[in-house]
Amino acid sequence: MNNEKPIVQMRKVCKRFGKIKALDDINLQIYPGRIIGLLGANGAGKSTLLRHIIGLYLEDEGQCVTFGCIAGKLGPAELGRIGYVHQEGELLDWMTVRQFIRYVSAYYPNWNRELEEKYIEDFEISTRARVGSLSPGQRQRLAILLAIGCEPELLILDEPAAALDPVARAQFLDLLLQIIQAENRTIIISSHILSDVEKVIDHAVIMKEGRILLDCSFDELRERFSLVRISALGKELPAELPFENILHCKRSDGQAILTVQDCPPEKLQEQAKSLDCWIEIETLPLEDIYKIVVSKKENVTGV
Amino acid sequence: MSILTVNLKHLYQRRGLWLVYVILVLFAFAGIAVLFKGPEAGQGRFIGLIVLAFVIGLLLAVLPLEVLSKPFSYCLPGHRKMVRRLVFCVGIVFNLLASLLFFIYPDLSVGQLLLVVCSAFVAGLISYLLGAGLAFGIRNSVAFIGFLPLVIVTGGFFDLHTVLERVIVENPLVVISVGILSSCVVWFWLGDEGRARRYCNVPWVGFFDAWNPDKMKRISRIRMAGKWKKLEKYTNLRIENFYLGRMNRYDYVSAGRYIWGALYAASVAPVLHWNSILSIVIMVILMSFLLGYMGPAATFMFFFIPIMIVMNMRLPVHSSMLISGGRRERFAGSIAAVAAAVVPISVVVIAMVALSMLLEMVIPEFTWRGVNFTYRVINAGNLFIPLVITPFAFAIRLIFYRRPVYTMLLLMLIIYLMIFTALIWSKQLSAMINLISITAMLVLGWGTVLLVLRYVCMKRSLTGNG
Repeated sequence: MNNEKPIVQMRKVCKRFGKIKALDDINLQIYPGRIIGLLGANGAGKSTLLRHIIGLYLEDEGQCVTFGCIAGKLGPAELGRIGYVHQEGELLDWMTVRQFIRYVSAYYPNWNRELEEKYIEDFEISTRARVGSLSPGQRQRLAILLAIGCEPELLILDEPAAALDPVARAQFLDLLLQIIQAENRTIIISSHILSDVEKVIDHAVIMKEGRILLDCSFDELRERFSLVRISALGKELPAELPFENILHCKRSDGQAILTVQDCPPEKLQEQAKSLDCWIEIETLPLEDIYKIVVSKKENVTGV
Repeated sequence: MSILTVNLKHLYQRRGLWLVYVILVLFAFAGIAVLFKGPEAGQGRFIGLIVLAFVIGLLLAVLPLEVLSKPFSYCLPGHRKMVRRLVFCVGIVFNLLASLLFFIYPDLSVGQLLLVVCSAFVAGLISYLLGAGLAFGIRNSVAFIGFLPLVIVTGGFFDLHTVLERVIVENPLVVISVGILSSCVVWFWLGDEGRARRYCNVPWVGFFDAWNPDKMKRISRIRMAGKWKKLEKYTNLRIENFYLGRMNRYDYVSAGRYIWGALYAASVAPVLHWNSILSIVIMVILMSFLLGYMGPAATFMFFFIPIMIVMNMRLPVHSSMLISGGRRERFAGSIAAVAAAVVPISVVVIAMVALSMLLEMVIPEFTWRGVNFTYRVINAGNLFIPLVITPFAFAIRLIFYRRPVYTMLLLMLIIYLMIFTALIWSKQLSAMINLISITAMLVLGWGTVLLVLRYVCMKRSLTGNG
């Protein structure tokens, strides 16, 4: 049971765009001090969910509350505590980068000039260039700077690393970790680059077709799914392996590679011992966990 | 199914083209009706078909261009040669049918008629290929259709239509020879394989892209990317400091900060770009000059100015760029941005009327080719038209934000209704138009804008699909 007060609460939120159900009965609570990975395929409803949190979209049913205020009624006091990097990359193209930073910073009382300067230097952002002349990667860096410059309590990143090169992505991930070290900061990151996301998140929310399939801590998620390598020490492996909840099994020459769910390592070790097998247990990468979750909905829902 | 067939299917698969067909059929019908009413030799009435061929060539060529600009098409086997086959296929079929109408050309023997029909076919093909060539040669050349009425009127003034008709009828062999030669040249020109490379992935405004705000935004961003760099030295620190100073006078949660912020974001851009100001000044001078000779028709031109400005405006309501302003602040900022748009509209209209007063004093009356040209001052009484239309244009734009095509169609409908009403009940309307009725219309219009704006800001999704 979590005693902290959630900063975002979504209760039975539904949203339709014409015939398409973009969000279907979403229940979600986001607690401070976490990095939440919002994962899902294109059209899963990630951006729609994020836009509800900041009140850009209004729910058809249910309720979304951010910082204790109904999202649709968020004002400068609440929105000043939120940073948002959006997919569209809409910025004021005619301004110079310097002008634009000055313009945006004028809306925030706690704009951090030191952080701004540090970030400009680290990410080699040219302040004299026009925003419209920036490459997609540079635009993305600028958008990130604008989102973090106000030292937000809640940072919402909608596909923030899509246009960044590998070096900038690594820098960006480091930056996220630095931000989270500050007390009570919360980050929601929606991304397709799962290998990057798994380095930073401590909570995962997986969406499919407007529904949340899974919402749990990342550690818990990693514990639930394991990759098990089994090698027969003496005789052949039995035709049917006695392990529970096997999701996938690949066998060859006295060896088997299993993907198992909800099977504690101790139990696996015990069963392996009874089979006279050598066993190696690994955690699954997020990408594989994600594939399992979205393909085998019935096995993982209700977490 | 051949590549040509697949591309020909675009002609009916693209539903937006159906509207174009309706317009073209109406024009063709009018042209044919004139011919059958009383075909007379040497009147230039048959030239309408040749002009229509030009328009069709221009429009048709846009289709393969759009396909060529998509990167996937570069690798499609045999697709690069498709362009000329498509262009010639449609051109030959259309002009073959159109040239058959020359069989009703009067006072010619059967042999002569056959030659004239061949000549007309080739002349039509030349005109058609000229249109297609223009589409391939100049980016976004569909806009030239807007100038076509001017070309037709000017051509008519110089009797070009009768000259052209005489050339087709009296010199068929020359026309046929020129046509064969030019067709060969265009055939080889369109077969250039380098063309696919040049067009591949080039941001191209297609037929209906003007109605696709996301694509237009993307295209304009790509196009402007290089140009912005040249404008670096035009950064005006004084204007920046002025707006930021005004913003900073207000508290962080005060609407005043967002109003000044919206004004800064909305109105500084044109001030910074001297070439934008120059183009506006040139437009005002040209329009004032032309409208002075158009007489009462000038009134109708006024209708389009606010629509053009409103259609190209982007209000802070739908911005996905998050600043700390909520829905209420967006509402306040949008009102400021709307006001910022109304001022230039009013300035442009007043400047045009004022300039026309000056021009009337300077430009003397003259006669040319038997026609008297008298410059008349633009009626200042018509100033109210754009001011009344502007709020309704804003309201419609806000309601159909995601469907610009509906906005345009609805506005056009309103304009045509106003024109017809003005034509039918001009006397009654003149009596009704006074300060009170204009004020009432302005109050109604701006009241509607405020209500719609408030509804959109408070009750609607503000960005993306919503």
